[in-house]
Amino acid sequence: MIELENISLAYNNHRVLDGVSFTAQFWERLAILGGSGEGKTTILKIILGLIRPDAGRVVVDGQDITGLSESQLRSVRRKFTIVFQEGALFDSMNVKENVAFCLREQGGYSDEEIDRQVETLLKRVGIERAIDLMPEELSGGMQRRAAIARSLAACEPRMMLYDEPTTGLDPLTAENICGLINDLSSGDPGERKGNIIVTHDVVTASKVADRFLYLKEGRVIFDDDLPALLNTDDPELRKFINSLLLIGKEAYPTGG
Amino acid sequence: MRVQKVLAELQDFYVLAVRSLVGIFRKPLYVRETVEQMDYAGAGSFVIVFLVSLFIGMALSLSISTELATMGLKMYTGKIVGIAIIREVGPVAIALSFAGRVGSGMASEIGSMVLGHQVDMLRVFGMDVVKKLVTPRVVSATLMLPLLTVIGDAAALFGGYYISVFVSHQSGSFYWSQLAAVMSFKNLFIGLAKPFLFGYLIAVISCYMGLATRGGARGLREATTAAVVLSTIMILVANFILIRLLFLVLGMDA
Ligand SMILES: Nc1ncnc2c1ncn2[C@@H]1O[C@H](COP(=O)(O)OP(=O)(O)O)[C@@H](O)[C@H]1O
Ligand SMILES: [Mg+2]
Repeated sequence: MIELENISLAYNNHRVLDGVSFTAQFWERLAILGGSGEGKTTILKIILGLIRPDAGRVVVDGQDITGLSESQLRSVRRKFTIVFQEGALFDSMNVKENVAFCLREQGGYSDEEIDRQVETLLKRVGIERAIDLMPEELSGGMQRRAAIARSLAACEPRMMLYDEPTTGLDPLTAENICGLINDLSSGDPGERKGNIIVTHDVVTASKVADRFLYLKEGRVIFDDDLPALLNTDDPELRKFINSLLLIGKEAYPTGG
Repeated sequence: MRVQKVLAELQDFYVLAVRSLVGIFRKPLYVRETVEQMDYAGAGSFVIVFLVSLFIGMALSLSISTELATMGLKMYTGKIVGIAIIREVGPVAIALSFAGRVGSGMASEIGSMVLGHQVDMLRVFGMDVVKKLVTPRVVSATLMLPLLTVIGDAAALFGGYYISVFVSHQSGSFYWSQLAAVMSFKNLFIGLAKPFLFGYLIAVISCYMGLATRGGARGLREATTAAVVLSTIMILVANFILIRLLFLVLGMDA
């Protein structure tokens, strides 16, 4: 379980998070919505201990990780993996070496084993043909897929964090990425790998999450499921999810 | 508030300077990364170091022999050029070229890895960023700069020889014997101790600036500039302090 308690953070006197609290199980499929610059990426980094909040606590599996050192955080970070907005592939290595990165770092694998694993993972994310390409030669969608494959090779994470996984992609590619995210978190609640996806794209969120948080001015002002989101009477939030409301009339039961 | 920030940064810098060295003694050793950095910093800098030194040696020899000629002391060119190159001009000029080429390269490479979240990714994968990124660069710069300095000094002395013999019409063998006379242990020690320190400083400063990069393309520009400017200043300051110390230790009077 992940608990965020009253997280506050400012960058050079510019307050980004102002008392964010929420709790999530590892198997939950959570979407954090919010406009750009509202601190969504920052929240993911705080969960991983990449940034230390100014105030508040992050508790993972009952362990307060807020004050831990970089080496103590290592075991906490193994429970997660993150796919950053542009994939954050290592740009001096080709796709194969990127995906093989963690296997090589951990050591103890033969070259054949690594080749086999890389191939399996690339097949799983659907870009086995890109194996020898460099990151800059990949399209946005392929970069995300390669990054997902690399993260899956790292270890068996219990939860995947995605930062704007579909931003800047065409609708078809975005749809495919959503499918991949859903594949990876399939299974019974309680056992499956969960995900936290951070996005301003409500349509993407509606496809891959079943719980929605809305971040506004450094606080969580909405935290509920899809029907509640569609029926919200907050005018600001209604505007934000407008595109969802338009398709929502046909695709989603609005309950009213 | 400002002072506090500066102090905090100094502390971070100090921590980095020490931890990058500690990394040498702890597993895993990133041998491949270190070799790659040595290739980039050492082999890659050969041409610039060679050219810079050659022309400095020639210019120095020309100026000095002309000046000495007015006093009828032209034959001492080799001695003065030798001391100047081996002790001062060689190590400093080569370190400055190295800072411009390798320091800026390190800062911008690490800086763009920070901006592209690649450094965050390394941390998520449980890697020690200092060991993985900083130690190989510090080791490579600390070992490669002395080597480049030896090569550069040789090029500069050869340039000096060329000018003395073919432009200033002196005896070549006398130039070399003058030179041999100044190649004392003290002079060589001073000339070769410096680049170890300079290489270390350039790499630590540049990696620190790279890791501290924030705020997009503009931040990257600032990081790269700061790496070169700070390296330049630190080379010159450290150079002065080091000769002062070495003179005390080796017992030379000013
Ligand atoms: N390293 C940083 N230094 C200073 N300001 C930052 C830094 N990272 C993010 N910010 C600022 O914090 C705010 C929130 O950033 P972020 O979490 O990336 O927002 P989001 O992901 O929701 O778009 C933005 O206004 C951004 O400019
Ligand atoms: Mg963001």
